[in-house]
Amino acid sequence: MKVQSIQQKQVRCPTCKTIFTATGSPGEIQKITCPSCRTLGKVTFEQSYDATTIVIDIHHLTKNYGKFTAVNDLELTVYKGEIYGLLGPNGSGKTTIIKMLTGLLRPTSGNAEIFGKKIPCKSMMKNIGYMPQDTAIYLDNTVHENLAFFGGMYGMTKDQFEKKEQEMLAFVDLLNWRDCLVSTLSGGMKHRLSLACALIHEPHLLLLDEPTVGVDPELRATFWGYFETMMQKGVTVMITTHYMDEANHCSRVGFLRKGKLIAEGRPTELKQKTGTESLEDAFLALTGRKTP
Amino acid sequence: MNLRRTLAFTRRSLLQFRHDRRTFAFLLIMPLLMILIFGYTFGGDVKNITVEVVNLDHGLPSGTNPLLPQGLFLANNITKNFDTDTFSIHETTNTDDARQQVHDGKAWAAIIFPANFTQNFLTLLATQQDANRPTVEIYLDASNPTISAAVIKTLSQSLQNTLKELTATLNTSHIDLPITITQTYAYGGGDTRFIDYFAPGVISFAIMMVTTMITIILFVNERRNGTLQRLLVSPASETEIVVGYALAFAVIGVIQSIVVLVAALLLFNITIIGNIFLALVVVLLLAFGHQGLGILLSAGAKNEMQAIQFIPLIIFPSILLAGLFWPLESIPSYLQPLSYFIPLRYGIDAERSIMLRGWGIGEIWIDILVLIVFALLTLSASVLLLKKKN
Repeated sequence: MKVQSIQQKQVRCPTCKTIFTATGSPGEIQKITCPSCRTLGKVTFEQSYDATTIVIDIHHLTKNYGKFTAVNDLELTVYKGEIYGLLGPNGSGKTTIIKMLTGLLRPTSGNAEIFGKKIPCKSMMKNIGYMPQDTAIYLDNTVHENLAFFGGMYGMTKDQFEKKEQEMLAFVDLLNWRDCLVSTLSGGMKHRLSLACALIHEPHLLLLDEPTVGVDPELRATFWGYFETMMQKGVTVMITTHYMDEANHCSRVGFLRKGKLIAEGRPTELKQKTGTESLEDAFLALTGRKTP
Repeated sequence: MNLRRTLAFTRRSLLQFRHDRRTFAFLLIMPLLMILIFGYTFGGDVKNITVEVVNLDHGLPSGTNPLLPQGLFLANNITKNFDTDTFSIHETTNTDDARQQVHDGKAWAAIIFPANFTQNFLTLLATQQDANRPTVEIYLDASNPTISAAVIKTLSQSLQNTLKELTATLNTSHIDLPITITQTYAYGGGDTRFIDYFAPGVISFAIMMVTTMITIILFVNERRNGTLQRLLVSPASETEIVVGYALAFAVIGVIQSIVVLVAALLLFNITIIGNIFLALVVVLLLAFGHQGLGILLSAGAKNEMQAIQFIPLIIFPSILLAGLFWPLESIPSYLQPLSYFIPLRYGIDAERSIMLRGWGIGEIWIDILVLIVFALLTLSASVLLLKKKN
């Protein structure tokens, strides 16, 4: 069930200045050839979002563990309907930020608002879908029981749930596994179920903490397909990752280093600004290291 | 508190036990095994103690005393009154042989009645002078305190019974026995077996063990698998999480108690004279309190391996200080105050009072109150623990 809106983009060939149209899906990087002079080039299709409605608003957010500063005076805004990617190496503070947004950690100073409510706010939590780093589902229960549990947790009625369950099972391709014990499923299925558990209550904001760590390339592509589908439905997605290549799917990315946001923008903007070919090189350039 | 969210926890954990057959078996079989093993092997009453009886008593031949036309053979009467379940009697006339048997470990005791036993008894009765007291000699292997206590107890019981019979046959206006004992039972009726005393304790102990252990393991896994993070990020409150699990343990506790009670009734025909529903209420209170304790302890364990290390920490104080096997009075007096800090003590005391004495809430309200306070304290502490953020 992969729904993708097709984008068209005007491209100007840098050699012969011909203007032509390329077609692709959001987040895609396409290799193109100029129709007149045959010059090879690349075009990136951007994710679009509604830049007028703020979903996450973070001000001066700081988290200290003793003398160690995990997150340092963070300022960040996420708009409705975008996939915002927090990028950074291990230990750069990505998970700490997500945990503060979910209320699992208390900030040392600063504050954050989600949907206009200052967090932590229990009543607002029903709007959030959260998927932790670990699979975080119950291994000794069936697929159905896990979904029913998380549905119940969000106060869904039986009718609401039954309708939604079929849709979710179809979405993550687990229809035939409904009554199987989770412990008998493969790693990829567990990951898909974990995502379904985060989506069962139709959240408006999805907080995903490294959802693609330890996931094979095929499933990673599937997952990004899911995220883009969610985005097109108007769901805002905030995602952390240290796989720079997959961040091209994001509407905007923020580079984190040692708890500080060192750059932010659309993937293409960041590459242009640093004159690099990939986000990985852009990150290295921004941290002052030479590209290999 | 939202009921639908709370029940989601209860339903999920009960379903988990249904799928996890091994844990489910542990929940039911552990208390069953305890009652079986202790019921059959640890009957409490010692049986078939080999005893040498040396009866040298000449007695009083019939027709020599007008008061006792049938004559009197006191040692014979006492020997006849020995409880043949407890004693396996070997009669002999050689005192040295009998002593040698005990010395060689072939018998536990030699009971020797001297030749003038009846004679001295009658003289004492007639003259009230105890220059020649009738004496029973016991040569005893007291290396096993349980057996030696049983020997003494059986002997003195048989003495008492013989004296009672004698009072009935004698013309008591002429002869006064030095002491009469009248025995009436407040509770227990005299035929209370160890298993009757033990069953209420096993129920309480099994509930405590299972609830504490399973809660620790459940919550260690919740933490380690990351599911707890999900719960805390959901709209469910910490109270709903704790109460949801408490309801699941309530269901398990009731099932467990019923299984143990039915087994104890069918296999050992135990005595229950009190209100069975009150007994179940005590079980629930025990389960709630120990669930809270389990959640608190789970914070101190990073994995199941570490959780298992808590077992001896919980078992030993409970076994030794809560009066599960032995009465609290057998604990050294300076350690006895410690038992007040073991919640299981109150559970066992309440269950015994209900099942053996037929007491109601009016008599055991202190036990109930302590268990309620314990449950409220640990459960609210575990809500606070879950709320604690770094």
